[in-house]
Amino acid sequence: MRNLTRLFGEVKRYWGILLCILLLTAATAGLGLPGPLIIRYLVDNLVERKPFNIPLFFGLYVGVSIASSLVGAGLSMTVTYLGQRFKYDMRRKLYAHMQTLPLGFFEKNQTGKLMSNITNDVATLDQLISGGFVTLVSDLVTLTAVLIIVFRMNAYLAAWSLVVFPLYIANYLLHIGRIKKRADEIREERDVMLGDLQEKLAGAMVVKSYAKERFEVRQFVGQTRNLLELNVDQGMMGTRMWTLAEFIGSGLGIAVIMLIGGRQVMAGSLSPGSLIAFTSFITGYLYGPILRLIQINDQIARTNAALTRIFGTLDTEPNIKDRPGAVALPTITGAVEYDNVWFEYEPGQPVIKGVSLSVRAGQMVAFVGQSGSGKTTMINLLSRHYDVADGAITVDGHDLRDVQLASLRRQVGVVIQETVLFNTTIRENIRYGRLEASDTEVEEAARAANIAHVIEALPRGYETRIGEEGIKLSGGEKQRIAIARAILSDPRILVLDEATSALDSETETQIQTALERLMEGRTSFVIAHRLSTIVKADIIVVMEKGVIREAGSHQELLERGGIYAGLYLQQFEVALDQQRAERRT
Amino acid sequence: MSNLGRLLGYLKPYRARVVLAVFLMLLVTASALPMPRITQYLLDVVLPQRSQSRLLGVFWAIVGLYAFRGVASFLLNYLLGWLGQRIVFDLRFQSYRHLNRLSLSYYDKRQTGKIMARVIDDINVIQYMITGGFVTLITDILTLIVVMPVVVWMQWQLAVMALVIVPTYVVVYKLFLKRIRALSVELREKWDALIGALQEKIAGITVVKAFHREGYEVDRFMTTVQDNYTLGMSQAKLNRLLGLIVTVVSAGGTGLIYWYGAILVLHRQLQAGELIAFVGYIGYLYGPALRLVDFNIQAQWAGAAIDRVFETLDTRPDIMDAPNAVALASLRGEVRFRNVSFGYDPSKPVLHDINLEVKAGELIAIVGPSGSGKTTLVNLIARFYDVTEGEVLIDGLDVRSIRLESIRRQIGYVSQESLLFSVTLRENIAYGFHDATDTQIIEAARNADLHSYIADLPDGYDTKIGEDGVKLSVGQKQRLAIARATLTNPRILILDDATSALDSETEAHVQAALDRVMEGRTNFVIAHRLSTIVNADRIVVIDAGRIVDVGTHAELVARPGVYKNLYDEQFRSAQDEALAAYLG
Repeated sequence: MRNLTRLFGEVKRYWGILLCILLLTAATAGLGLPGPLIIRYLVDNLVERKPFNIPLFFGLYVGVSIASSLVGAGLSMTVTYLGQRFKYDMRRKLYAHMQTLPLGFFEKNQTGKLMSNITNDVATLDQLISGGFVTLVSDLVTLTAVLIIVFRMNAYLAAWSLVVFPLYIANYLLHIGRIKKRADEIREERDVMLGDLQEKLAGAMVVKSYAKERFEVRQFVGQTRNLLELNVDQGMMGTRMWTLAEFIGSGLGIAVIMLIGGRQVMAGSLSPGSLIAFTSFITGYLYGPILRLIQINDQIARTNAALTRIFGTLDTEPNIKDRPGAVALPTITGAVEYDNVWFEYEPGQPVIKGVSLSVRAGQMVAFVGQSGSGKTTMINLLSRHYDVADGAITVDGHDLRDVQLASLRRQVGVVIQETVLFNTTIRENIRYGRLEASDTEVEEAARAANIAHVIEALPRGYETRIGEEGIKLSGGEKQRIAIARAILSDPRILVLDEATSALDSETETQIQTALERLMEGRTSFVIAHRLSTIVKADIIVVMEKGVIREAGSHQELLERGGIYAGLYLQQFEVALDQQRAERRT
Repeated sequence: MSNLGRLLGYLKPYRARVVLAVFLMLLVTASALPMPRITQYLLDVVLPQRSQSRLLGVFWAIVGLYAFRGVASFLLNYLLGWLGQRIVFDLRFQSYRHLNRLSLSYYDKRQTGKIMARVIDDINVIQYMITGGFVTLITDILTLIVVMPVVVWMQWQLAVMALVIVPTYVVVYKLFLKRIRALSVELREKWDALIGALQEKIAGITVVKAFHREGYEVDRFMTTVQDNYTLGMSQAKLNRLLGLIVTVVSAGGTGLIYWYGAILVLHRQLQAGELIAFVGYIGYLYGPALRLVDFNIQAQWAGAAIDRVFETLDTRPDIMDAPNAVALASLRGEVRFRNVSFGYDPSKPVLHDINLEVKAGELIAIVGPSGSGKTTLVNLIARFYDVTEGEVLIDGLDVRSIRLESIRRQIGYVSQESLLFSVTLRENIAYGFHDATDTQIIEAARNADLHSYIADLPDGYDTKIGEDGVKLSVGQKQRLAIARATLTNPRILILDDATSALDSETEAHVQAALDRVMEGRTNFVIAHRLSTIVNADRIVVIDAGRIVDVGTHAELVARPGVYKNLYDEQFRSAQDEALAAYLG
């Protein structure tokens, strides 16, 4: 229910449109009422064969019909407008909010679920608002008006026509519990199926390489068969309920009115026309609205899940945001200081434990260590994807938490492990690094990243589309495009996380020169496993389980004979052996 | 619309039920007919005669009629619901089975979200059309067929008046149809664009954030939302206008019938009740016309959905078992490339004339610049793609003549990206071999140097990974993928850069384990690290899709060539320094 009040809060600002809808609803209801009365006038005159003003009747009948459908169309347009407007604003709000959330949020939530948050959940809300609420209002208005009219026309008959109602409601209540339960089961089963499907389609490579196609099909069939049975069962219960409802409402209801009303007509206390009008009032305007009123409850319940998800997203506080009064980081020289930094993803499980590291502007830092030792976390903290739990990180003496996020990230260029390129042209992908860059600058960046010759050899050059319906690039080519993108953004601090892992040695050497040129005058942080990339670093930081075990230049660390020296010798043992052998000969 | 015919073909296995459904539809339609007549009887006979017994008769007639209608329509709806669900099931099953048959080249070109949409959303749309719009259409047509003679027989002049209006509908409808259709096609496209953009940007959020493009992305996304909004509004406008015109026309028509009918009644050529009944029947005629508008919109969406579903089903898998393909229970593991050329796009070959013979049990390292065709080469062994020219032979047999399943079951493949599923660690490791015992699973994890990590987790091997589960580092994912591959005890093991994210220490562990694992198998390794490569029996050097050199490490460094250059460039500088430091 709290969700609902909040939803009202969201809808409140459309009060102008809502007022419009209310007025139009009242008008529609009002215009719907004269219909049966006009028919009564006709029938009564015809039964008595009393001449009457036929053109006047025609005018009234057609006029009322046209007026009511005009108002109806206006109402429906206004409702559509409200719905579209609501969806537009809500999607903007959700998407904009998601963009402010830190990476951790996206790691915890599957892409598919976040998408359906923006697409399906919002659509569900719209159904409640432009479907449920509007009908609710219109039904309430109609119901009140019709009840007043029928009781004034003939209170006795009106009372009789309500006799079948308890049956009607009992039928509904009897069924709805089980139908709802089934609906929940269906939703659960469906979610499982969707999750599996998404994963197995995205992982087609694995399914195929283990020849598990038939196994997967069997699993899928099992799930869809369950879904089939649940759906059929739910459909059966729903059909039974609605069929009974039609029988009670239309069948029994009309029969009772005809019987009781017929007796009154015979007794002379009711005109035949009134009987016909009465029947159409009751069947057309009474049963439907009452049923829908009972149902709105159910509709709200169904929407509740969507509401919870949407508000859940909106309520996720971006834990990384500009603090009030945060200043824009001026152009930095790139001196970085980790001061007794602690960090944990999960409470109680620190992954960085009291790390201190001082980097001067323009230095190159290489992180070395086992997977899981905290290397990636160290650089994620630098781009402030997460905030330190304790201690501080400063850039040029500014605590990261005191400066505007945008001004920080603009000066930190990152090339990450998994290369993400977008479904657009190569040019646009590179330009993503700096949107206002000219074509020449894009091409220069491509050249610096050593990918220009590959691109230029393509028939459509920089205009070639990547991804779906586009060309297939090798892992190394993708990475070089990502590097070009980072080069273009001209950062003060450069972060390369495994950026060169998919490059073969030749390309890496070529790019190494480009990167060295790029690194010049910038502070750079590199995570690479190949020692040849690392040996040139000003500071090599050896990490283990969240602490710095060794830090120093290649030469210093070798002399110390610690972990790094061990790693180094191990990797080059073969080469060294060979070299020694060569020297001996 | 031949696709519609094909869709109806899916009803064939349920012919008896379809016939029953049509029969029930007739009954339901027929049960709607007596009601106006009962009203007429009441007005014209019962009330003027003041007959209490006949009134009671009317009461029971209505109750009986609706009871009959209720039973028939319950059965009908149940049957239709069943048929609809059944078709959904059949279509989903077929689509999914087919998707699994399609080769990787199909997946390379498509976003997962779009493939999903076909299996889920498109099929749902089809179901709604079949059990909703389509059934209504048939019922409406049946009603028209039955009601037409009734009204003509009741009062032919009035009937002519009523039917004169019908052409107006047709004209108005035709006028609108084209624009409505165009709009709904456009709307569908814009919606797809919205979904595509959303999917890409959420999946690629790391890049968006790294370049601080959040605001820019919101603006871009909102333009696609704006497009949808505008189109949605103009579609609504068009539909409303059409609805309005149709309503006005039918109100005018009904009014005219009342007018002329009233004159007839006053001239005692018609009974009052008859006129009321007549108008009741006319409602049955005009109702379908109104519904046709809705049906058309539904049919537009469904038509597109049907086309897409069949397009998927009609995509021929490029990789299929030949009719007489043999099953090889146990491979020895000899692999031979004979004059192999291949291109993802046949006009742009990636591999040229590859010849390579690998004996069972050999360890082959493949090196070369990125984009030179290393991954493509190993992908041909497991027959993820078929060669354009030449042949790939396993144990002397063309892979195209061996059953796919028997090849892939005996090849362990670890790709560059480690794809894991959101299930437990145990299930992930045992993915290729579901019947593995715990001992075997632990053994595999130990081989990949992952056991100690897993054993430390509170839930051990039952820890879920992925969403709401534990977060693995890239190196851990790679090791899990290696464990998964080794568990199946493959005859041929392919490691495509599978250890790139392992740090040297871990790699040393894994390397020791891999050495053990590789024993007695044929191994293909794509790696950049010298330590992995030097142990190979032979090193195959690829450049621009051709094999430019083959030999052992010692042989290759001894002669000038691509390998020597690679080797020198990567190691010389580091080596010199290392030597200087090491030798003092």
